[in-house]
Amino acid sequence: MIATPAPGLAAANIDPVIVGLVTNRLHSILDEQQTALINTAFSPVVRESYDLACAVFDSRGRMIGQSASGTPGHINAMATGMEHIVARFPHGQLADGDVLITNDPWMTAGQINDITVATPFFREGRLVAWFASCCHSPDIGGKILSAEAREVYEEGLRLPIMKLRTAAGPDTTLEEVIRANVRTPDETMGDIYAQVASNRVGARSLFALMDEHGLDEIDSIASAIMDRSEAALRSRITELVDGRYSASMEVDGFGEDSLLLAVTVTVENDEIVVDYAGSSPQSKHGINVVINYTRAYTSFAIKAALSPDVPHNEGAFRPVRTRAPEGSILNCQEPAPVASRHLVGHFLPSLIFQALRPAVPGGLPAASADALWMTVWRGVVDEDRERSYFTLTSFGAGGSGGRPRKDGLTTTGFPTGVRAAPTEVLEAHTPIVQTARELLPDSAGPGTHRGGVSQVLRVRRRGKGTWSVNANVDRVKFPAPGAAGGAPGRRGSFERASTGEPLPRKSQVFLGDDDEVILRFPGGGGYGNPWERPVDRVLDDVIDGYITLESARDDYGVAVEYSGPADALVRTERMYRVDEDETDRLRGTR
Amino acid sequence: MTSVVKTMRVGIDIGGTFTDLSVLDDDGIVAVGKALTTHGSPAQGVLEALMELLQSHDIDAAHIGTLVHGTTLVTNALIERRGARTALMTTEGFRDVVEMGREHRYDLYDLDIEMPVPLVPRRLRIGVPERILATGEVAEPLDEERVATVAAELAAEGVEAVAVCFLHSHVNPEHEQRARDVMRQVAPGLRVALSSDVNPEVREYERFSTTIANVYVQRIVEEYLAELRSGLHALGVRDAPMIMLSNGGVTAIEVAQRFPIRMLESGPAGGALGAVAVGRSIGEPDLLAFDMGGTTAKLCMIEGAEPLLTHTFEVSRVYKLRAGSGLPVRAPVIDMIEIGAGGGSNARINSLGLIAVGPESSGSEPGPVCYGKGGVPVTVTDADLVLGLLDAGSFLGGRMELDLDAAHDAIRTQIAEPLGISVTDAAWGIHATVNANMADAARVHAIERGCDVDRLPLFVSGGNGPLHGPGVAQALGSPSLTVPPAAGVLSTLGFLSAPPAIDVVRSHFSSVDEGLASVAAGIYESLEEEAATLLSASGVSHANITYVRTVEMRFEGQGTEVEVMAPTPHADIRWDQALNDRFHEAYRQRFGPVAPERVPVEVLTWRVKASGPEPSQALHFASHHAERTAVKGTRRAYFGPEHGFQDVDVYDRHHLHSGQEIPGPAIVEEPESTLVVPPEGHATVLPNQAIRVALTSHEGGWK
Repeated sequence: MIATPAPGLAAANIDPVIVGLVTNRLHSILDEQQTALINTAFSPVVRESYDLACAVFDSRGRMIGQSASGTPGHINAMATGMEHIVARFPHGQLADGDVLITNDPWMTAGQINDITVATPFFREGRLVAWFASCCHSPDIGGKILSAEAREVYEEGLRLPIMKLRTAAGPDTTLEEVIRANVRTPDETMGDIYAQVASNRVGARSLFALMDEHGLDEIDSIASAIMDRSEAALRSRITELVDGRYSASMEVDGFGEDSLLLAVTVTVENDEIVVDYAGSSPQSKHGINVVINYTRAYTSFAIKAALSPDVPHNEGAFRPVRTRAPEGSILNCQEPAPVASRHLVGHFLPSLIFQALRPAVPGGLPAASADALWMTVWRGVVDEDRERSYFTLTSFGAGGSGGRPRKDGLTTTGFPTGVRAAPTEVLEAHTPIVQTARELLPDSAGPGTHRGGVSQVLRVRRRGKGTWSVNANVDRVKFPAPGAAGGAPGRRGSFERASTGEPLPRKSQVFLGDDDEVILRFPGGGGYGNPWERPVDRVLDDVIDGYITLESARDDYGVAVEYSGPADALVRTERMYRVDEDETDRLRGTR
Repeated sequence: MTSVVKTMRVGIDIGGTFTDLSVLDDDGIVAVGKALTTHGSPAQGVLEALMELLQSHDIDAAHIGTLVHGTTLVTNALIERRGARTALMTTEGFRDVVEMGREHRYDLYDLDIEMPVPLVPRRLRIGVPERILATGEVAEPLDEERVATVAAELAAEGVEAVAVCFLHSHVNPEHEQRARDVMRQVAPGLRVALSSDVNPEVREYERFSTTIANVYVQRIVEEYLAELRSGLHALGVRDAPMIMLSNGGVTAIEVAQRFPIRMLESGPAGGALGAVAVGRSIGEPDLLAFDMGGTTAKLCMIEGAEPLLTHTFEVSRVYKLRAGSGLPVRAPVIDMIEIGAGGGSNARINSLGLIAVGPESSGSEPGPVCYGKGGVPVTVTDADLVLGLLDAGSFLGGRMELDLDAAHDAIRTQIAEPLGISVTDAAWGIHATVNANMADAARVHAIERGCDVDRLPLFVSGGNGPLHGPGVAQALGSPSLTVPPAAGVLSTLGFLSAPPAIDVVRSHFSSVDEGLASVAAGIYESLEEEAATLLSASGVSHANITYVRTVEMRFEGQGTEVEVMAPTPHADIRWDQALNDRFHEAYRQRFGPVAPERVPVEVLTWRVKASGPEPSQALHFASHHAERTAVKGTRRAYFGPEHGFQDVDVYDRHHLHSGQEIPGPAIVEEPESTLVVPPEGHATVLPNQAIRVALTSHEGGWK
């Protein structure tokens, strides 16, 4: 981790009112930066789905704050990544106008598509702060994103930490190299320009803040903010019962080889050690996770579980130590392939929740669909009319886990903050046609508080031409477990519509002109005994088609009868009733 | 000789708590009134409040020429779910678009968030076979038999309204129109709304949500407006009332009934228009309008005497006022931000050991600790009282005694002692924090729109606006602030200064090239024709309409558009080049100099705002009596660590005379609010009874 503050910067004597005002203001500034990024980005990945993160750092690269949306993998990996960036370019080697770029998986967000753009900002010749963002590029060359590569070199163009621009302008050689290597030169470069511009938007407002308050540096206030965040998290940790809490979870992995993820969380006084010893060794396939990314989702989980209200910054990382054996799936070594690392990393928060559940007084949600379902579509636009190619990355969410006091969220990602793009936008952008995008009955894990409902998505194409899909998806073999007596969510599936045959996942699948594929997303795990779910809520779920009559009976012990016409297209509340005697009998038998 | 009868103009705003009224004639304001809103029978409430005001001022209803009305009825109906039993007919496979939304977990860390609940439950969302592609081509014809069956079944199940929302209908509306025709035959009693009619714009979630909301509230609005019209007629008001829209224009009842969703937020829109009107009369066309009440504060940027507009917002937020937890509605609305900062906002010590204020609020019930009505958490008003900025004896004109000791004790135990600071420092911390929160919100709002907020004078209204406005202005570096006369009924004055206006929109995708000029001419012509027809219902003749043409553009491949004014055709420069230049200029202003190179520009959305003539209206009291001295006493008030406590004069606003100068520090009271003139401020009473406080720049700050 990054060093603790130097003694001269100890910030104990700064007026707490001012620290509070600056903290709030920095969050506004980061929202401005994020809005500018979204508004100027080109790829649907960034502009519609928000696969991004923005953050501000002090002069030494310590994260002071992050934007509200975005995704934890990027934010927290950027926080540790800045350490490498500052080490590569010490102060003397930077000048006003410089902008740095990298997508090195081991330096930043663990995937070659994730590009970090970091800008040092100067006042009167002195570096005072950094603004940075990390965005998922729609393409970075190499294999189209999947887990098929055997080494990182096959996964695309790797950019070491280097200067993208100086005061003199862009490095046109670098720009040409990037453009020549990627399938989506305009989108990839357009997003990078958006990152450069939005960093400046952030700095513009930070400078205004400094002017207003006569500040010539922000490091001392930054230290105060971090120290306070650290203290807040430590005090929350102290409220937990000390002890060692373990959990493990099996996930799909690649092909026939499933993976075991294991964790032991040790709570002692005001510190937490999260150790992933016992997890599977690193894979031959591109589902390996770099330690930066493991740390990112670990600190996300601890913060969400214990201190969602505490501002997230470098101070909040200090009380949490993360370990994973070198060469394991969660701390892979070069040149391991890493492109689909989120299909492993996204399980860590649910895994940690499972371990910590007994230690946290209010309880923690059941497991979610967890790994974000990402599909990458590539093909000829239209053989007869336009022989160019399209590339589209799209995202969709399954159900999230049932919660101690509420149902899980329907079609909402967890732990990611990435969102879906509108059907109309995707279809205007590419020849892709979605023939269905709707909720999937009986997908939610039954529980007193059931899991979130997932979705079914059917996709074909218009026009003619070669096309393919890489379905980077998981929980097809292993469903999201329930918690506290709740049942697991439904497994996902990925099939050819015409035959129902399962298609290979995390690999490129070539399709014919008339093919249609079906993606059924995994549901969230249930929380609490489903037989204790109030009968009227089960009835409502039946009327609205979230669950079937059969599930109501078998999973919830509620006998619901449908008395409307067999061919009715509109089925309303008056056509259903609960058979109370039968329900009593069913529920009484447990 | 016959006496000259003055034509009266009346503004009425039904808010959540109060109904505000004002009556004006050619000389200015002749009467203002405030009555509690009657939620049970809103039309009856309006009529009674109006009758009472007319009687008490001896005004004959027959002399009312224009009556402009705004209401929160639509907002309330959506929040309280009191609309029609509504169904959705949509493309098969897409019935859940309105429930799935954008699949966005809008708070990364909060595990308890909630999503907006659609107005139509899943049981009434029905898919029918049909499909139109993004190109407008029909991939699958509409199954009309299915439409007929569904319509009959919906009617049999007691459904009153159906929103017909098919994919890509903004490109090709044929299927939606055909579905409507079929339903009319099978179930003529069903009220049908088409998404291609209500909101013909891309992005299905927002379009479907808007269409549903519109048809959901339509019956309530129709009935209400019909009752109001006949009630006013019975009172002797000759002309039908005009309705205030959220875009800052007024319209005839018929248009409001067709697009009730456009009446959302009309009260706050009136407040912004009041700021525009007063600003214009004192020569300040650029303003930041700031309204602070008991629970929330609202901010709105005004440029060139026009409030900024936006085309999308959220209604009925279900989780902590968070963006993402409400139903999206796309309609032209005055662009305002609302933040949880008011007099009743709670102060606490947050997890970092720092003072935090809001958004939790004690509101007016039980209210601040000093109200003595059982409020426990410290509020902003408690801090203001302890600082001497408010007076325990003259609050609400002395109608309500405040408990200073209770406020003092609460701040001591809840904030000062835990932080180890004095009660005064704690109270100042609360006051300064809430001001900074509002200033921050204003800044983000401005920057996101490419505006520079620092140079803008503030325009303050609401019960707490004049008290906190100066602090907000200083935090923003504003040169001055203005407090209007009759600030308590500002929105109704805004209604009466609004022209008849309507916005019309069309999505038409195009690259920017030489052929665009003629395409644009055709689109604008038909949009203007449509707008003129809508405006003629408001009695505006074609000759009197002003059109503003704008267009939304972006670099090819981007997802967010920048709105620019369409250039006027000119012989010296090609129209598309002029448009291209305007776009690049606007882009640079918003996002700085790093713009993509060699990337072409595209046009998506075309808009026309059509307005009738602006009413000219004097917005000051027609009669006013200044006194020899307006000073009614002195009190000790705190003005920050630099100045400490000072003894300052307290003025009665109603006794100030035009041209009077009041150097800061000073306090000016009226029953509804207290204006604090800081030591760096200098107040002047303007000819129209508004008070302007000039602020010398605030040097240094926190060192």
